[in-house]
Order: sequence, then structure tokens, then C-alpha cells
Amino acid sequence: MSKKFSGVWGTFEFLDDTCSVVKELREMGYKKITTHAPCPRHELDHALGDPQSRVPFATLIGMFTGLGLAVVIMLYMTLDWILPVSGKPIISIPSMGPVAFELTVLTSIYFTMMAMVVLIIKDTKAHQFPQGKQYKEYNRFMRDRFGIVVPCPQGEVEKVESIFKKYQAEEVIREV
Amino acid sequence: MSNITYASINDDVLNSLEPPGKAWWLSLMVILGILGMGVFAWGYQIRHGLEWSGISHPIGWGVYITDFVFWVGIGHAGTLISAVLYLVRAPFRTSIYRASEAMTVFAVMTAGLFPIIHVGRAWNAYWLIPYPNQRQLWVNFKSPLLWDVFAVSTYMSVSIAFFLLGLIPDLATVRDESKGIKRFLYSLPALGFRGTNHQWLHYMRGYLLFAAIATPLVFSVHSIVSWDFAMSSIPGWHTTIFAPYFVAGAIFSGCAMVLTLMIPLRLAFPGFRDIITIKDLEGMAKMILFTTVIVGYAYSIEFFIAYYSGAKYERALFWYRPFGEMKNFFWLMVFCNVIAPIPLWFKKIRTNIPALFLISILINIGMWLERFNIVVTSLAHDFDPYAWGTYTFEWVELWITLGSFGWFFMWFWLFVKIMPSLAVAELKEALNPPMRRAK
Repeated sequence: MSKKFSGVWGTFEFLDDTCSVVKELREMGYKKITTHAPCPRHELDHALGDPQSRVPFATLIGMFTGLGLAVVIMLYMTLDWILPVSGKPIISIPSMGPVAFELTVLTSIYFTMMAMVVLIIKDTKAHQFPQGKQYKEYNRFMRDRFGIVVPCPQGEVEKVESIFKKYQAEEVIREV
Repeated sequence: MSNITYASINDDVLNSLEPPGKAWWLSLMVILGILGMGVFAWGYQIRHGLEWSGISHPIGWGVYITDFVFWVGIGHAGTLISAVLYLVRAPFRTSIYRASEAMTVFAVMTAGLFPIIHVGRAWNAYWLIPYPNQRQLWVNFKSPLLWDVFAVSTYMSVSIAFFLLGLIPDLATVRDESKGIKRFLYSLPALGFRGTNHQWLHYMRGYLLFAAIATPLVFSVHSIVSWDFAMSSIPGWHTTIFAPYFVAGAIFSGCAMVLTLMIPLRLAFPGFRDIITIKDLEGMAKMILFTTVIVGYAYSIEFFIAYYSGAKYERALFWYRPFGEMKNFFWLMVFCNVIAPIPLWFKKIRTNIPALFLISILINIGMWLERFNIVVTSLAHDFDPYAWGTYTFEWVELWITLGSFGWFFMWFWLFVKIMPSLAVAELKEALNPPMRRAK
């Protein structure tokens, strides 16, 4: 993101136009495309080649961390001060169930949240975005407009622009 | 939802965030007045002791534990709607889930106050958390009360996280539609969200996982709350059906509270009427219908098992509930939870808003009474007739109970004016997207 942006961005009223542009750009070899949408749309995911998120791995790691943490906490605290209760075993596996379950859930939720934040930042940093005021202050992406950002060398700007116009982009802005 | 567009959803939500009118301020004053009385009553109890709570031998758990279980139950519907109904793709969920989730967060915040109020010396409530005290003595992990500490705190933590996570795209929407200081204030919690494919990809995957993880959590929390009672040997408490019975009851009361909140919300913001449709309210009424059958079945099976088991203490208690000195609470509970929802079998009633509102209020009352019956009558009439007792309400606990409603509604009132009370992005997702070829 720190590098100076060179490329084209545009806005669209219709989702099918947006998807068509994304598909055509990908076929031409542009892989670092960013799209904007007011809500999640699977049509855009398909056009972008169905990228997969790695968030579930973090959830799984969080789950095992929480379970392990719960067992360690309960074993340590139970053995640190022996507290016999109604003749039950000092280390009672069934009675560990609820606390182990709750900590498993708690930790996996926090790992999921952290993974979301980290992966979004990582993906955003891996892509270039327009630096102009017009892009930064454009406020209809969360309202009713779709958008596409394509970084490209100065010599290819016109070619990319023509694809945007072919599918009737509302606005096409070049930044070089 | 044929007249609804992406832009009109934004407009409806923004209208709800306009500066409040006289009716909002007036109702907030009433709510704050009730909360103020509750705070005063709690202060009075701290100054003069738990004798003002109505708790005495043999009834050591009274109105406060009833309130705790009631509010945890209310807190169930939000996560049920946002997580369980998300996984099963229930169509009536989208319009009501944001406000229901807010309801969950505020209800669990309210529930969390009651163990602190109940222990009397509120400043020692941190003893519930595992930490080594001066004798290096740890908490007892075999106690269901400790399981409950973990369950309720996890539930509150996850509910808040789920609620805030769902809000991020919608706060970004409000930010983009605002100017000046308002834009700046909304831009902070929006965390730079601009609806890029990278953001939606990880956000939606994380949200799905949240829903999948929160689903067993919904069922675990009230099961564990029920074990506070069922793990003991008291007649009326020591019952294996308590976990599913409590979960069904929690969903029942939570859905009723959703209706109690959604109906005035629709009335207050006319733009919401096209979004929170009668069909959505009918969907909640069907959930109530489903759970009232389970609750009614649980009531009757408890009596049958008390009779069929031949356990004399159990039989004595289940005779005491409908015919003892606290029988009025029992019969009012049966009326509110089993009889009053019967008209919902008819579509005409399920789609009649005043009728739905009235039934939802009755269910709220009935479910409070259910918890009161479980908690108090069982302790009033256990094994030894010498130790039997009865319950006398004190003004302090009644005002604290009313004050808890003031606390809950205060947060909800602030929420509808500060946060988007409709899930903007999910409502848009449910619409047909704008397509040129479809024109």
C-alpha cells in the first residue's frame, strides 16, 4: 500500500457488469484485483476464482489451545490444594467437561477474531490502492455501488479503461 | 420486500439514528426513574443487609436467583436467532437478528448483576473467579456454580464479540453516510471497513465459524444454569430433564422478549415496517408455539415422574406446588406459559400485532414465575417438615427486579439511537442484487 499506485478504478451500478469486468481482467492476466461491494456476493467470489480464507485453521488452533489450557488449569489447581468433595475422585474427568468446553469455545472465538483481523490486514497490504482523494472519499461502496480497483503499468491503463467502459462503468478514474 | 433497494435500507437505518424526539426522551426518563429506584434499593440492601431481600432460612435462593435465571434465559434468543437460525438459513431471521443480538448482550449484562447482588457483599464477588487467596485455596471445579461462572462469562464474552463483529460493516455504512464529528465517531469502530473482497472473504468465513461455535454454546449455557439446581439432591431440582427443559424455556422466553421489543420498534420507526414484516413476527410466533409445547410437556412430565417414581419427597413437593400456599404463582405460570400461547395456533392471531404483543408480555411474566416456582418452592418444601418455610417478598428485592428492567431497557433505548438496529449488510444480501440483464 505504501508504493505509489498506478492503475484504474471504477464504479458500477450493476453486479453482473462488475463480475464481467473482473472475469475479463483475470483472463488478461490481472490477478491483483480488488473489488468493493455493499454486501458479500458469491457472484463476485466466483468471478475472482473462489478464493479461500485461512481463518478456520486459526479457529482449530484456538480450539485445541482452549481445551489444553482448561485441562492444565483444572489439573494444576485441583492438585495444588487437595479438596475432597463428597468422596468424589480428586481428579474427576466428567466434572471437567463444562469448564473445558467453555474455554475451548472462548479461545477459538478469540483466535478466529484475531485471524480475521490479521488476514484482512495482510491481504490489504498485498494489494495496491488508489491514493487520490476521490477514491478515499468515495462513499457509495457501502451504500449501493460496486467498485473495481486494478493496479497496472502506465502503458496498460487505456486497455484496462476500455474494459471498464465496455461494461458501462459509471465512473472510470485513472491514477498514474 | 419488493420495494426495498440497497439504498432504501441505508436510508431507513439512518432515519432511525436521527436525533430522538420527545417520546424517546420521555420514555428514557421513565426508564431511568425505574433504574434509579432499583439502584436506591440495592444501596439500601448494602447498607442494611440481606434481611431486606426476602431471603431467609430455608429459602436461601429467592428473587435474585430467579432474576438471574430469567435474564440468562432472555439472553438466549439473540444468539439462537443470530447463530442457529443463520446456520439453518431461516428467512425470518435477517430483519430481527441485530436487535435480538443487542437484547442478548443487554440481558446477559443484566443477569451478571444478580449473583453480585445476591451475595450481599458485592465487593467480594471476585471470589467467584479462580485465583489463589491467602491460603493458596483454589475454587472447587466439581461445583456446578463454578461451571456457571465459566458458562455465563463465556456466553457474555462471545455474545458481545458476535454482536460487535456483526456491527462492523453496518457502522462503516453509517460512517459513509455521515459528515463531520459523527463521521469521525463512527469511523473508529468501523475499523476501516470498505467492503473490499479481502474484507468480505475473511469476515464472512469468520462469521460462519462464530455461528457454528456459538450454536453449541447456546445449548450449553442454559444446560449448565439448570445444573446449578439439578446437581443437588433437593426434590423438585434433582431432575434429569432439567437441561433440555431449561433450554426450551430460555428460547421460549427469549422469543417472547424479541416480540416485546420488535413490535414497539416497528411502531417507532415506520420505515422498519417494510423490513420487519408480519411474516417475520409470525416466524417468531411459530418458535414460541414450538417451545410452549416443549415447556408444557416438561411441566406435565415432572408431575408424572413425581407420581410414577413413588419418591415420597418428590410427590409431596409436586402436591405442594399446585395446592400449597404458593399455588397462585404456579397456576399463573401455567396460564401464561401453556394456556395463553394456545391462540397462536391460529394464523389470524399469529398475524395480529396487538395479540402477539399481549401474549409476549404474558409469556415474559409466566417465565419469571416459572423460575420463581423452581427456585423458591423447592427450597420451601424439602425433606424435613421441621425445616419447611414460606417466602415473604420485600420491597427492596421487588425494586431491584424492576430496576433490572430499567437497566435492560436503558441500554436498548440507547442502542436504537446510536447503533444500526437493522443488519444492513445482511438485509442487502437477502435482496436480489441489481443486475442489468434482469432489467
